[in-house]
Amino acid sequence: MSRVQKSFAWMRQHWVILIGIILAIGVMTFPIPQITDPQTRTITLDARQFEFAPHRIHINKGDRVIIQFTASDVVHGFYLDGYGIQERVEPGITKQIEFVAEHTGKFRYRCSVSCGSLHPFMIGELVVGPNEPFWRAIAFVIVSVITLIAYQFFSKGTSYEHATLGTSPA
Amino acid sequence: MKRELLAIGIVILILIGLPVGVFIYNRQHTNPDSPERLITIQAAVPEAGGFQPSAIKVTAGETVTLRFTSVDVTHGIAIGPGLGIDLGHVDPGHVQEVSLTFEKAGTYTFYCNTWCSPDHWRMRGTVDVIDPANPDAAPSPYHDPIIEQLVEEGVNIDANTTMDMPDHPQPDVLRFDQPASIEQGHILAASLVIPTELADTEWRLTHTPIEGLALLENNNPSISMSDLINVIAYMWTSDTPPEDIQWAEEYYNKNCAACHGQTGEGNGPAADQTAQSPVAFADFTYMFGMRSDVLYAKIRRGGMGTDMPNFGTLLTPEETLRLVGYLWQLAFKDRPN
Repeated sequence: MSRVQKSFAWMRQHWVILIGIILAIGVMTFPIPQITDPQTRTITLDARQFEFAPHRIHINKGDRVIIQFTASDVVHGFYLDGYGIQERVEPGITKQIEFVAEHTGKFRYRCSVSCGSLHPFMIGELVVGPNEPFWRAIAFVIVSVITLIAYQFFSKGTSYEHATLGTSPA
Repeated sequence: MKRELLAIGIVILILIGLPVGVFIYNRQHTNPDSPERLITIQAAVPEAGGFQPSAIKVTAGETVTLRFTSVDVTHGIAIGPGLGIDLGHVDPGHVQEVSLTFEKAGTYTFYCNTWCSPDHWRMRGTVDVIDPANPDAAPSPYHDPIIEQLVEEGVNIDANTTMDMPDHPQPDVLRFDQPASIEQGHILAASLVIPTELADTEWRLTHTPIEGLALLENNNPSISMSDLINVIAYMWTSDTPPEDIQWAEEYYNKNCAACHGQTGEGNGPAADQTAQSPVAFADFTYMFGMRSDVLYAKIRRGGMGTDMPNFGTLLTPEETLRLVGYLWQLAFKDRPN
């Protein structure tokens, strides 16, 4: 058998794996169109010892975010991971933070001005959805599992048994 | 025997060398040419002691360096009156320094100008500047002509309104159903008959806008009431130049906004902690019955039982008047509604 014939034979035997790999590459690279129109979201974020209110913000990718940042007791700060935005706020003086949510995922915002004993735990979350990497990973796992199960089903009695019994297929 | 001598020698060297070394180090790091004093003041919330030390004595003409540190939360450091020193925030773990030469004897106050705790307004300390020629001189009694005038007139500075004074025209509440417009008042003012006393800055200082409105109404019976209110709003806000307003806005935001609110709505984050609800300067019905000199006195002297601190030891009379000017801005400036 020539080399080409050999690979055709392999493909005929293992076509499930091939489809699985193509699907897996597909779910990881398929460009997802922007589902929601970008909006301007005005969020009132209040900082107090030792919490943010709200402590979780959900927005969509591409949204213009305007945070009206206030403090209720002492001077607090705002540092947004992944975006590198830093601001400080005094009680009574509202600070406005503006940015466009370009990166999807879950980012933490934390107090960046030492405000007391529990200051290190003053953390909130900004969720920029849809969380693409997360859902792609889920889809990848599902495709892989289905591929493996299908492979076992279609090639029953061949590779599986040889593998478990440790005998050579020849 | 030789080793024993060597050991004794080392011990003696340490005993003598260490103090000498420390002494030389100190001499080198404190420049003897400038007899400058460094005073470290540790800031903490007033519940935990406030400024320590909270009273400093210096001699007039002497240069001192004040170094502020913080041990708990962020504090703001300013020194007044009349020095114009605002060091900004001092975060825990950071320091802020200022070198000062006090030329005149007197008492100055350093204070926290960033809301830091429910007792923030107690957070003050004093610098007593002593006249080297007369170190035991007692501070001269404080005279404030505007407040003395008010006392003479029999105005109750603690009262919430000055409208209950005898001969004061009573306002028709329905007249004040919409915000005034300073710009429109400015345009209109040129075409109105302005009574001479109303045109006088001193008169406006000691009278309420309602009194001014009554005068204006008598002289211009054909003009609508809302237009007259606009003119009054313009006149009461025209006395303070823009750069003074800018200074006052910054001062207001740092020192007043925590209770009275940034826009003067009386709804700052600390508004629910005070003995009496903070006054809303944005409520121009309230401001129409208020006098500049009474506002001045309230700021300088503080409010009895209201938790309004006194600013008389922090501000010069001129600075206080600028602040009053900003309060009129808060009352009358056009707001999107």
